[in-house]
Amino acid sequence: MSNGAMGQTSGIVTRRYKHGSIVYFENDKSEYIYILKGGRVILTSVKVDTGEEVKEEIKPGEFFGVKSSLGKYPREETAQTIGETVLLVLTLADFERLVLQNVNVVRKMLRIFSNQLRRIGKSQREVLGESESINPAEELFKIGEYYFKVGRVQQAQYAYKRYMEYYPDGKYSGPSMQRIRAIESGSAGGGDDFPPAGPPVPPSGPVRSDENVDFTDFSIDDEKPAAPAPSPSRSPLDDFGGEAASSSPLASEMDDFFSEGKSVDFGDDPFSGGDMNVTNGKNGKGVAENFYAAMSKFSQEDYAGALALYAGILEVRNLKNESEAKIFEKAHFEIGRCHLKLGKFTEALTAFSNMIKKFPGSENVKNALFHMGVVYESVKKADKAAAYYNRVIPMEPKDSINKLAAKRLKAMENGKVP
Amino acid sequence: MSMFLDGQLFDKFGVEYSPSDIIFCEYEPGNEFYFIQNGRVKIVKIINNTEKTLDILEVGDVFGEMAILEEQPRSASAIAMDHVKLLRFRRENFDALLQGNPQLAYKLLIIFSKRIYDAKRRLMILLLEEPQVKVMDVMCMLSEQDPHLDLQEAITLRVTIQEVANWAGMQIADVQKILSHLNQLGKIELFNDKIVVKNIRDFQRIVSSRRKNMFS
Repeated sequence: MSNGAMGQTSGIVTRRYKHGSIVYFENDKSEYIYILKGGRVILTSVKVDTGEEVKEEIKPGEFFGVKSSLGKYPREETAQTIGETVLLVLTLADFERLVLQNVNVVRKMLRIFSNQLRRIGKSQREVLGESESINPAEELFKIGEYYFKVGRVQQAQYAYKRYMEYYPDGKYSGPSMQRIRAIESGSAGGGDDFPPAGPPVPPSGPVRSDENVDFTDFSIDDEKPAAPAPSPSRSPLDDFGGEAASSSPLASEMDDFFSEGKSVDFGDDPFSGGDMNVTNGKNGKGVAENFYAAMSKFSQEDYAGALALYAGILEVRNLKNESEAKIFEKAHFEIGRCHLKLGKFTEALTAFSNMIKKFPGSENVKNALFHMGVVYESVKKADKAAAYYNRVIPMEPKDSINKLAAKRLKAMENGKVP
Repeated sequence: MSMFLDGQLFDKFGVEYSPSDIIFCEYEPGNEFYFIQNGRVKIVKIINNTEKTLDILEVGDVFGEMAILEEQPRSASAIAMDHVKLLRFRRENFDALLQGNPQLAYKLLIIFSKRIYDAKRRLMILLLEEPQVKVMDVMCMLSEQDPHLDLQEAITLRVTIQEVANWAGMQIADVQKILSHLNQLGKIELFNDKIVVKNIRDFQRIVSSRRKNMFS
């Protein structure tokens, strides 16, 4: 904390903590926001959807306690010091003054907040069983139909016109135009049942079925795999190649799970991301920034884009610090997930096994093994998949991945997935 | 907020709507977000062929804010309830906007912090397995929203069965059954527009013990 932002912050209290002190507990209510000046702080929280305990380390110069303070709700994590630690303690007013002088900080926080919100929304939709595979064009037309049939023609008109604007050659452009003309000529007003907007989407149950995994397009032997990306080492992989038409519902279920869980424990929180350092003047495209951008792309289902960014991180030769080293390691794992999403199963296996070989002590090893099981399951190699799941199940520390592996194994044994 | 009085800002970004105009529609691509300067805006969604009101927003509220991050289909429709004046911002000029209006940036931080919490809280309800516990947790959540309630006493929650069903992600008939049952047991008193909870602490304990056991 040496320059710039902290210059005009007279009145901010500096507080010293001994090793192991609790700055605040989960569920405490307080309006203070903290900046780590020296020492270390660990935030411990529990993921609402998996029950996993997540630990995040705050880096010097980073804020923490921001969201709960701004939103005036209880703390969502426990903050504890490691070693002698010095914190700057800000009131909301201090914080406001500080960020108003440094809009870049706000912008970064907003991006992260917005991303978090989107993820939570996605989890909500999944729990509610809302399909991810809806067709927005068709749904937009159906909105028009809804308003048309209840006689709210002005609102119907809006939806039809938007449909024509975005999808002029779409499946429903003809019917939309007819509706628009009917409304404009004043002859419309609810009731008639033309044209069918396709079968109504039945509300899907909250539990996704694995039974509709369709691998008819997948062929084990047809194609030789493209050269695996990061490493030529291939064992313990089978030499199956080719690409599935798309990632399976199963794979996507897994990925969705992990995008909320384990694999986002870096950079998902506004106050642990390497780029939140207010004192750091340089904002070049660093490793952390690219990692974040890749995560963002992944979350927007741009898996090829995410893959390219992660692959770029693997090219970095001069890792600056421990956090970059951690990202570097994580990128190896994430590359596997991208391949899995893209239906490139051979490449996915290569990436995961490569990661395990390179970082045998990594905390991501279990997750990688689990994903290898998922890949094998995706290509209907049940015995191989089971072998991986069986390896995962006893691995410490036990968390949701172990449970998930056991669940998948059981489902396979029950013949749900061939 | 001083920015709402800034005439120049309105000249540049202001838009007006008449009552029942659609501002944006569910499933249409979105890359703009809005601040309400005047009037009310209704956020609605068509669920099972019925229009459901999710929220009513007023002066100073923001909506469509997910567009700040990325373009994706709108998850709900926004409809003007009155003559409405809005500031409309496009994602592309968001950065420039922030530079010129740090107050707006700060305000957005607060809004997002609250939304994240509310969304997480709702997710916690949805993740509960038993319908009865979900319904109880909706009542717990509502009780948390009013810091002035004395939770040692019976509390009154201004909520309809429909709203409870929305929060819990359940069918209204199922919620009705559960609430009637709780009513018979004397745990709550059920009215058309409110629910009186006799002992919300009791519900809190039940919910939290279920939640603890969820992952073990």
